[in-house]
Amino acid sequence: MEIRPIFSALLRNKTAPLLVAIQVAISLAILTNALYIVNNRQAVSVRPSGVTDESTLFRLAIIPITPLNFNENIAQQQRAHQILKGIPGVLSVAATNQMPMTRSGSTSGVARDRKQVKSTPASDYYTSDSLVATLGLKLLEGRDFASDDVLESDPALSNEYPKVVILTQELARQLYPDAGSVIGKPLFFGTGNDAEEVRIIGVVERLQSVGADSSARGEYSTILPRRTDFAQYAVRTEPGQRDRVMKEAAEAMRKIGPAAVTIKTKTVAADRSSRYRSDMALAGLLVTVSALLLLITASGIVGMTTLWVAQRRKQIGVRRALGARKIDILRYFLTENILITTGGIASGLLLAVALNQLLVSQLELTKLPVNYMLAGAGIFWLLGIGAVYGPALRAASISPATATRSA
Amino acid sequence: MFKYYFMLGVRSLRRNPALTALMVLTLAVGVAASVSTLTILQVMSGNPIPHKSDRLLVPLLDNGSLKGYVPGAKPDDIQMTYRDAANLLASKQGPRRTVVYGIEGGIEPERADLPVVEVSGLAVSSDYFAMFETPFLYGGAWSEKEDGNKAGVIVLSRLQSEKMYGKANPVGKHVRLHSNDFQIVGVLDTWNPIPRYTHLLNGNGGSFNGEDGIFIPFSTAIRIEFGQSGSTTCNDHVTPGYQGFLDSECTWLQFWFESKSASDRVAIQNYLNAYAGEQRKLGRFPRNSENKLYNVTEWLDYLGVVRSDSKLSVWLSFGFLLLCLVNTVGLLLAKFSVRASEVGVRRALGASRAEIFKQFLIETAVVGLAGGLLGLPLSFLGMRIIADQSANLSVVPGMDWMMLGITFLLSVSASILAGLLPTWRACQVTPALQLKSQ
Repeated sequence: MEIRPIFSALLRNKTAPLLVAIQVAISLAILTNALYIVNNRQAVSVRPSGVTDESTLFRLAIIPITPLNFNENIAQQQRAHQILKGIPGVLSVAATNQMPMTRSGSTSGVARDRKQVKSTPASDYYTSDSLVATLGLKLLEGRDFASDDVLESDPALSNEYPKVVILTQELARQLYPDAGSVIGKPLFFGTGNDAEEVRIIGVVERLQSVGADSSARGEYSTILPRRTDFAQYAVRTEPGQRDRVMKEAAEAMRKIGPAAVTIKTKTVAADRSSRYRSDMALAGLLVTVSALLLLITASGIVGMTTLWVAQRRKQIGVRRALGARKIDILRYFLTENILITTGGIASGLLLAVALNQLLVSQLELTKLPVNYMLAGAGIFWLLGIGAVYGPALRAASISPATATRSA
Repeated sequence: MFKYYFMLGVRSLRRNPALTALMVLTLAVGVAASVSTLTILQVMSGNPIPHKSDRLLVPLLDNGSLKGYVPGAKPDDIQMTYRDAANLLASKQGPRRTVVYGIEGGIEPERADLPVVEVSGLAVSSDYFAMFETPFLYGGAWSEKEDGNKAGVIVLSRLQSEKMYGKANPVGKHVRLHSNDFQIVGVLDTWNPIPRYTHLLNGNGGSFNGEDGIFIPFSTAIRIEFGQSGSTTCNDHVTPGYQGFLDSECTWLQFWFESKSASDRVAIQNYLNAYAGEQRKLGRFPRNSENKLYNVTEWLDYLGVVRSDSKLSVWLSFGFLLLCLVNTVGLLLAKFSVRASEVGVRRALGASRAEIFKQFLIETAVVGLAGGLLGLPLSFLGMRIIADQSANLSVVPGMDWMMLGITFLLSVSASILAGLLPTWRACQVTPALQLKSQ
């Protein structure tokens, strides 16, 4: 197939091919970056939180309209435990101050040495039961808390601190990068003379922070054994029982008394979709726009080729009369289209890199990997061929007799 | 001639329905995407109180420790300690000032079998309402005297009042909140500033969502030890107990000054610097960093209220519009090229190139108008979808005159821009060549 004649034909009538090439270039640049962003957001939203089987876990909070004093609070916690454990379908209950992915909770700076100046922020989970058991966290080293590890203290009266802590693997690596095992090593909450020293007794594989940040911070968490005035419970149910148990638990808790209370329940699955809602929304927008981009570019190619074919009816007729087969005409148009789209793709790739640079500098994106560019190029080659096939076939079926007639 | 060309344009639209539909649709979708994302971005970054935004000021003090401090770094928190808030309140700087912090709780039901009414709102000073020009439906704000007496008074939002009392006027009624009695003194009319700039860091919806249902005096909230719903940052050792918390260096309160005029700001800045100097003598504020004042727009900027996602959406839409434009150029070229003989006839009959140019340009403007007409409902739909999906915007911006104008302006100018090349091409037609039979 002779490329030169096709090429020089294109050069003689530059406008239409140029327009197609520009459309391909713009679409490619936008599409590659959009798909990259979608993939990033998608990857962030499926990160495991550390909780095993999120579909059977929910949290329940009891909010009294009159704040209870410490002893009343502890008594309510004991009643709450009893009530919850008594509901059929409940496998395990843990009182806690916060849950991952809720974006609501406490963060403290931790360090390996009190003489350090900078500390690492980590979500500090408190529990008087076993978060490891209820949340299904994977304990890699060491042990879970025993009942005599749990410190019972009124924060209004004393600043006493628990003596032991469990932390996440990523936090352990961050603080003690050189150590083999961190069991038995100290951890300081805060720095300086006031810092609280605790001993590491366990390492869990993963427990995301309350914010589930997309940076490394999202994996830094500590768990402390403490019974204090929080009134939130993580409840693990049997498979399929979660919604029923949640309803029954809320009903039962409403009557926990003595004063009226507000009960708030939310499933971990709902926490996850709340946390990633805006990421998913943006991903949805980008996918929609990408689809529209492909559609519009395809329609542009179809339109241009149809016009092109209409303008060269006579020429096609003459060629056929001179002996060209249908397949030759088809091949001619396909080759022409590939040339145009290749030109568009080449400039589109450059544009994609430039756009990516802009996004990196302005909107905190990361650099576009090469395989997205290759994938984008592939998509548009296929799109071009697919779009031009129809008009090319129609061109090939132009009967030479009618085309060469002048009228 | 304009009316004639306009009619010609409309008629030519009907001549090739498929091509016309494609053109108008492409243009409409491109314009709709751009207008909807642009409107949402504008709403999010708009000035919620334009006539007063330069007179409402937020002071930013830095009470952080020197540990790991790099000079010039931002303060650890945008909020301030109780000690500083109380002092600034007492300073009587500017004609008005208020503290703000978020509260959340339950109003006791009148009968034991009724559920608790969950409420969330703010603890503020009496000046809050006048400062932010909140409209009142019934009653009014409490007075400074009631601030001083730590009185049990409460103002409800319209939504909250309707939830609890329907359309009736509840002023004078009592509610029981946090084990204390509160008398309703006022009900706000609908007030939804976007963003919720008086208290951006809040625990009940975020910058663009939700609303404050109740307002109680700050002094009362402290008296009854009402916990904060929001964020608290403590860097040092805190003495246990509520009083210990109040005396500590924990930051959890937001503060606003109102200045008499833009120039009054200097006086408040000087006061702030002098205050910080005094506190340094007492051993606080070891960092000695700059004490800043921000007006409303500067504050929104500082906090980066508009997320980068919104900006990304706008850029994406304009890139998409660009594609639609190029596509339209191609389609218009196709459309005009088949009319070459018509142009030839007109030129032969004496039309100048300029007349042909005018005719076809007006035709593209007609396409633009059609695109705008279709783009308008599409824009509205687009905004609806985006606002719903992102859960970031509870108040969907309505279709106002500004948006209507922008849609048509964008659509017509886009199509005229796209039409320039095809129109110029059409003018170049040589009549002689076209008039030779076929």
